[in-house]
Amino acid sequence: MYRLRRPWTAPSTAAAALVRPVWRGLPWRVWGVAQGAGTLAAGLIRVCGGGPLPALVLLRAAVLAGALGLAFLLDDPARHTTATVPVRRVVRTALRVALVAPVVAVWWTAVLLLVPGSVRPPVWDITLEAGTASVLALAAATVAVRRTDEPEPGRSVATALLAGAVLAPLLLPARWALFVAPGDPGWAAAHERWAWVLAGAAALWAVSLREPRRRRTVRAPLRSAFRSVFRSPCGTSGLSRTC
Amino acid sequence: MTVTVSASGLTLRYGATRALDDVSLRLTPGVTGLLGPNGAGKTTLLRVLATAVPADSGAFTVLGRDPGTARGRQEVRRALGYLPQTPGFHPDFTPFEFVDYVAILKELTDRAGRHREVRRVLAEVGLGEVRGKRIRKLSGGMRQRVALAAALVGDPGFLVLDEPTVGLDPEQRLRFRELIAEAGEGRTVLLSTHQTEDVAMLCHRVLVMADGRIRFDGTPAELAARAAGRVWSSTARDAGAKAGWRTGTGAFRNVGDPPEGADLLEPTLEDGYLLALDDEHAEVTA
Repeated sequence: MYRLRRPWTAPSTAAAALVRPVWRGLPWRVWGVAQGAGTLAAGLIRVCGGGPLPALVLLRAAVLAGALGLAFLLDDPARHTTATVPVRRVVRTALRVALVAPVVAVWWTAVLLLVPGSVRPPVWDITLEAGTASVLALAAATVAVRRTDEPEPGRSVATALLAGAVLAPLLLPARWALFVAPGDPGWAAAHERWAWVLAGAAALWAVSLREPRRRRTVRAPLRSAFRSVFRSPCGTSGLSRTC
Repeated sequence: MTVTVSASGLTLRYGATRALDDVSLRLTPGVTGLLGPNGAGKTTLLRVLATAVPADSGAFTVLGRDPGTARGRQEVRRALGYLPQTPGFHPDFTPFEFVDYVAILKELTDRAGRHREVRRVLAEVGLGEVRGKRIRKLSGGMRQRVALAAALVGDPGFLVLDEPTVGLDPEQRLRFRELIAEAGEGRTVLLSTHQTEDVAMLCHRVLVMADGRIRFDGTPAELAARAAGRVWSSTARDAGAKAGWRTGTGAFRNVGDPPEGADLLEPTLEDGYLLALDDEHAEVTA
């Protein structure tokens, strides 16, 4: 029998064999749209001109578009079919991130190069914002995978991210402001806060990378809203039986 | 007979609901059927035994391995095949590519050996001819067979099947029955189903679940025998019947407590199942 001849497999060996199927299963279409929208925003800066402020706004729109695309990274229609395999989820997630990281890096470089140097905000600061948004998207997607049974939580995660991006500038008090304009005296302090957010998101992501646990009990008032967002795949009964 | 899966005191709560309530069982090689109404806890039990979700309390072993630790869980998963109730696929993959992907996830990393194994299981489930066709172009029954092939790849010692015949036409169900019977030769199969005929045809043993508890544990013949003397025929629905329906002959078939001098009928597995569910304090046999 095959299993009797099967030796112990190192995670790196399994990861190497997984490169091709995982690459093929990545949500390239969604990313194409997201990165296309981001590139378009950056292109508008070059085409339409304008000062540093409109350039920053459009560049932040590009950052958001890229992050929204990354929210779909962990979407896996085969999630339930592959729920109980020995290759750990952390290996599979790391492989997805490793595969997409160079693509995102090239795209971001292209976006920055599209913006004329005269109106381009400090590259490292705006890259910090882009990195933070990306890690936030990945952390949110990982939490969704860990806490729910939804095979493709990308749409819900992207919606939450979009809502957060719209509401944060409106609701954050001035002393916590993240979205400051170039030349603002609070620029450096805001980017310190961006670094803290990045650290927090990275920590949340790392903690959530472990195998998914069963969903925590949802309090009754939240139940119906939650049910509409995350469909249960298991059982033929109601939410109380969802796993 | 060798006990391959052993569980004791498995309990799992969802809020105020006990999805599993102190479930204990021992499985042996062959096909064991798991019957129960919607919401009985069948899928939850299967997911716990398949290590997809941990129980709140209780313990179990699969083929001598304890999934209570990360290492043990991984060892159990190496010996496990799981067909979920709603299997998902990458629709642009072919059956070969998809099962090959699952085989890699099951740590079959030797390419040549893995491809042989993938071809073997695809042939076993009757998909050898369409292994190069996109999954999105396959029928529901064929997709279900892809999922079964994914569960079977790597020759697992413990196979967990969650309602694999749901949505299949009678011919496909028959074909699936054959596949499950073959799969049950030499390995332990736990089959959750609503189809009592499947259990009668396939299983050497049956568990009946209701409200998160095992209500019955025994052979299909023993389950049917529970209804001996409690199934009768009448010209009208009997008030003492727990269930009764008009048959094709026009007579009523009643299950429950028959009146004096009733025209008793031979009980079926379904009759026994209905009574096992109805008996509030049913004793677990075996």
